[in-house]
Amino acid sequence: MGLGGRKGTVTPREQNPSPRPKGPKMSKRKMKRKNKREMEELKKEVVMDDHKLTLDELSTKYSVDLTKGHSPEEEQEILARDGPDTLSPPTTTPGWVKFCKQLFGGFSLLLWTGASLCFVAYGIQLYFHEDPTKDNLYLGVVLTVVVIITGCSSYYQEAKSSKIMESFKTMVPQQALVIRGGDKIQIPVQDLVVGDLVEVKGGDWIPADIRLISSQGCKVDNSSLTGESEPQSRSSDFTNENPLKTQNICFFSTNCVEGTAQGIVIATGDSTVMGRIASLTSGLAVGQTPIAAEIEHFIHLITAVAVFLGVTFFGLSLILGYSWLEAVIFLIGIIVANVPEGLLATVTVCLTLTAKRMARKNCLVKNLEAVKTLGSTSTICSKETGTLTQNRMTVAHLWFDRTIYEADTSEEQTGNSFAKGSDTWCILARIAGVCNRADFKANQEYLPIAKRATAGDASESALLKFIEQSYSSVKEMREKSPKVAEIPFNSTNKYQTSIHLREDGSQTHVLMMKGAPERILEFCSTYLLKGQEYPMDDEMKEAFQNAYLELGGLGEHVLGFCFLNLPNTYSKGFKFNTDEINFPMDNLCFVGLISMIDPPRAAVSDAVGKCRSVGIKVIMVTGDHPITAKAIAKGVGIISEGTEIAEDIAARLKIPVSQVNARDVKAIVVHGSELKNMNSEQLDEILQNHTEIVFARTSPQQKLIIVEGCQRLGAIVAVTGDGVNNSPVLKKADIGIAMGIAGSDVSKQAADMILLDDNFASIVIGMEEGRLIFDNLKKSIAYTLTSNIPEITPFLLFIILGIPLPLGTITILCIDLGTDMVPAISLAYESAESDLMKRAPRNPKTDKLVNDRLTGMAYGQIGMIQVLAGFFTYFVILAENGFKPTDLLGIRISWENRYLNDLEDSYGQQWTYEQRKVLELTCQTAFFVSIVVVQWADLIICKTRRNSVFQQGMTNKILIFGILEETFLAAFLSYTPGMDVALRMYPLKITWWLCATPYSILILVYDEIRKLIIRRHPGGWLEKETYY
Amino acid sequence: HTVTKKEKSFNQSLAEWKLFNYNTTTGEFLGPTAKSWGLSLLFCLWAMLQALNNKVPRYRDQIPSPGLMVFPKPVMALDFSFSVSNPESYRGYINDRKKFLKSYVVEEQKNLTDCPDGAFFEQKRLDYTSCRFPLVLLEARSGVDDPGFGYSTGSPCILVKMNRKIGLKSQGEPRIECISKGENTAVLSTYPSNGTIDLKYFPYYGKKLHGSYLQPFVAVQLIFGNRNNVNEVTVEHKIDGSPNLKHRDDRDKFLGRVAFKSTMLNKK
Repeated sequence: MGLGGRKGTVTPREQNPSPRPKGPKMSKRKMKRKNKREMEELKKEVVMDDHKLTLDELSTKYSVDLTKGHSPEEEQEILARDGPDTLSPPTTTPGWVKFCKQLFGGFSLLLWTGASLCFVAYGIQLYFHEDPTKDNLYLGVVLTVVVIITGCSSYYQEAKSSKIMESFKTMVPQQALVIRGGDKIQIPVQDLVVGDLVEVKGGDWIPADIRLISSQGCKVDNSSLTGESEPQSRSSDFTNENPLKTQNICFFSTNCVEGTAQGIVIATGDSTVMGRIASLTSGLAVGQTPIAAEIEHFIHLITAVAVFLGVTFFGLSLILGYSWLEAVIFLIGIIVANVPEGLLATVTVCLTLTAKRMARKNCLVKNLEAVKTLGSTSTICSKETGTLTQNRMTVAHLWFDRTIYEADTSEEQTGNSFAKGSDTWCILARIAGVCNRADFKANQEYLPIAKRATAGDASESALLKFIEQSYSSVKEMREKSPKVAEIPFNSTNKYQTSIHLREDGSQTHVLMMKGAPERILEFCSTYLLKGQEYPMDDEMKEAFQNAYLELGGLGEHVLGFCFLNLPNTYSKGFKFNTDEINFPMDNLCFVGLISMIDPPRAAVSDAVGKCRSVGIKVIMVTGDHPITAKAIAKGVGIISEGTEIAEDIAARLKIPVSQVNARDVKAIVVHGSELKNMNSEQLDEILQNHTEIVFARTSPQQKLIIVEGCQRLGAIVAVTGDGVNNSPVLKKADIGIAMGIAGSDVSKQAADMILLDDNFASIVIGMEEGRLIFDNLKKSIAYTLTSNIPEITPFLLFIILGIPLPLGTITILCIDLGTDMVPAISLAYESAESDLMKRAPRNPKTDKLVNDRLTGMAYGQIGMIQVLAGFFTYFVILAENGFKPTDLLGIRISWENRYLNDLEDSYGQQWTYEQRKVLELTCQTAFFVSIVVVQWADLIICKTRRNSVFQQGMTNKILIFGILEETFLAAFLSYTPGMDVALRMYPLKITWWLCATPYSILILVYDEIRKLIIRRHPGGWLEKETYY
Repeated sequence: HTVTKKEKSFNQSLAEWKLFNYNTTTGEFLGPTAKSWGLSLLFCLWAMLQALNNKVPRYRDQIPSPGLMVFPKPVMALDFSFSVSNPESYRGYINDRKKFLKSYVVEEQKNLTDCPDGAFFEQKRLDYTSCRFPLVLLEARSGVDDPGFGYSTGSPCILVKMNRKIGLKSQGEPRIECISKGENTAVLSTYPSNGTIDLKYFPYYGKKLHGSYLQPFVAVQLIFGNRNNVNEVTVEHKIDGSPNLKHRDDRDKFLGRVAFKSTMLNKK
């Protein structure tokens, strides 16, 4: 270690630059403005200069001794100043705020308004009458209870999924090895301070941003920060202006894969690069989720209808000669009657059910509304490693005996079908197994080989597993020919050599070497063909070049293998010196190549195909090399077969890339450095004009730009990500999808949905579910809204025609919160219609959840038939009991007069007030039952929007249960003794149940014909007007 | 900024208005189909009416037992307030009663039958007739001699009648029993004597068949005991003497009974 710092120097604290912003002390407004500026800054690339400093300067800057580290006193001081080395957790909304949001947000607000209106109406009645009907009071109370219950249940649901989130967090405290006052001590990571001298070794988690001062074969896995899946070498050398690319900086929360290194902590906690990215997440503005927008739109619609009706009838009732007081009560009554009380609960339950169903399919939904958003997704930005790929290097191809053999890369690793008989293979396998530092971790014998955990470099682990699987036990091999000496891999050599005792017992040694193929070839003078050694010739070299290019073109990571049997002079006992090489290292014998790749997941290409067939664009965003990215993209179908990128076309036509006709290019691979120099118009152009896009070598900041670009073009974007660096983009996306296995906590916090199995295919399943729930919610709402019309018209006709009230408040509540509930929810279980995944993604601007076609159908047509059914029943019952419809007109004043106890009916009989009230309430019960009867038919027609019920079938058991339940409930409410006192509902004669059945059949026939016409004339007038 | 907001709400309301009109497209609410919906409802009702029995309603179980009612009907609640010295305060009552008794005058009853007392007057013929209810039964309260019905003398007369119910045959000997309650009681005299309702007025066959039917009633005269300035008395009537005519129901305060309050101001 070339150290030359001013030992023991202590500079005053003032000179010590603190990268920490002094945020918390600022006033709120200032903070906001500052935050905005910071945000823009954070979106830019990381700026730091510590990597450019010499060790002396570094020592001065952090006033630390580069061999002994801080003294404990200094440490305490700095810790007190900078705070612990942890990421400050994302600002979580406190529980009660969340609860209030559930309680007073969106639809609940409508119900609250309704409830308070009810209380107002009751208050008015109480003030002016000594004995008011308590209906309004009851209604207000019920509305309040409904809102509170649904609010609580959705809060509970959300709390439950956040609890699952909590369980993701690893509870093990991280430790760091730090040198303080010359002593190596283990301390908890949060006690680390700027300027600390720390040591990291293979397998360690990097505890802070560290400027390395020395290293021994250190490699780090930066994939969580930069997306590069290959381990990066780290040394004390300044190699690049860009701090992310220079070799002498290790970043917080990345992993050290192998080797050891010492360095000075240059930033801790939130001021680390990772920490700043994480804090970006909490600062990003979150747009309104599509369903929230839908619900708002829906509330506008309902409110407008209610207010319009209310005001109209307010005026009308004044004209008809009602008093002001009555008119106000009517106004409130109408507005409240328009509120679909049960809908909030129905929607909540539907979403919850779907979330549960999705969790079973490995999609954990954090945000209920995200389920529906997923259904309207039009673009998916997916990262490569782990989502599209299996996230493990696997041997894909072998080249020996001048032939390329394919290895099995599937997740199961079943068959291996290559020339295992060849002697060359045996030698290749032996080199790959023995000249290899990776090892299986202990106690995993019961696991299949592919699933076992390994210690060591990803490529070496891949080789280890491959050899174990397809040759023989590596452990035995290594025992038979123990390692005597080794030159580890480093980036300048680009090879790894080890010397082993030969296993034939000849007491001689063999030198084995693996490394970059071109380097290996330089060492070789002979090559192996079918177990025989031949001198290297041009033909062989050309074959080698072709194979190397071919495998490299597949995006695979290629390694070459060679060996040399050392002569007897180096027999057992010889002291090999790897620093000053005292053994031959030339004229080796070339054996073959093995190439590895992180293979695509099996189900992904199907899923991508499915996405494409429904018009969802899949964009791959990766930190990997363009060649690897392109290979994977081709492998999973993101670049479909036969599609060429500009470079391919150029190569085929033998013209420069610039001359390729832009219209022929459907696919494009964009390099991160190109993206950096693009303005937003150019990005838009790329996004618009290419159907198949791969972004390679992108930084996390660029991901944000890409997503914003897509959103600018009106797409609903789903983004997958796992690293901390992905969290801003997850938050920015319309739907952020985090990875359950590989994902970091911060990314899971930021995401709306978590793929428990990290599999891209699960997104498509999620999307299917999302579309299904959108469809089913539409159906559910159509069903629920329909009964609103037969609920409101009685009141309107009561005002206009002066007939006894055909349907009371309590019966309305019985429908909305009783009989309609289970059937409406059962529609959430409805299976998809045949065209579910054939339709194009929903356009959120025009294709609303509740559109005027839906309200037109529900209110205008089916609702109207239901009104007929209800009134028919009502008039039949009144007539059968003596009041003919003609005599009912305008009877209201006498009917409602409680002191008029000899009201004469059409037959001359006289009725006391109570007797005709019982008759009226019996009619209301019958009206209620009629609605139940016609809602049977409504439920059946709501099952489908285009298909016939006969095509769809009646397989939805919950729905059948729903029909039975509502019928049973209606009967229960009508016939249970005591109901006349409790709910003022009265038993009906059986024939009164039948009055509505013809209308039920009418609804079925009417709608079947409508759907038939829609199917016969797709895009026709009827479809345009009534297909919701 | 405000302008755009206004525009938006205007557009919104326009859209809502369109939603209700719908004339251009499917036309549900106020459009031509609304008319057809209405017509079909009317047709259904007409068909239903045709199917109905014109003479007797199909179900009569909603009136298990008839109610009682007083006559004339007070304007507010059941509270007869009047001042002896002010004829205007009881003119309404008198007129009401006169109107009610119009069908009971002798000339009107000419074509009716003189039925035997104490037995149901059951009829099976095509042309139904009704029993006479001679006003003579009311003696002085018939209004023939005293057109003021006792209001001017401070002893008002009020009629109590039982609601009509088709086919009702009361058992036993139904009579109206009257009790006066309150601080000041009044002497009550009922006419016909004992408040009896004769069985010959049962059964009733309905407006269509039995148009000339005369409903029996009982006249109750209140004679205030003390001539105070303000005389307030609550009088309760109930049907008695017939096991199938109920006079007790928790909810229906008029089933077989009726109570009213009478307030007489006696200022000179």
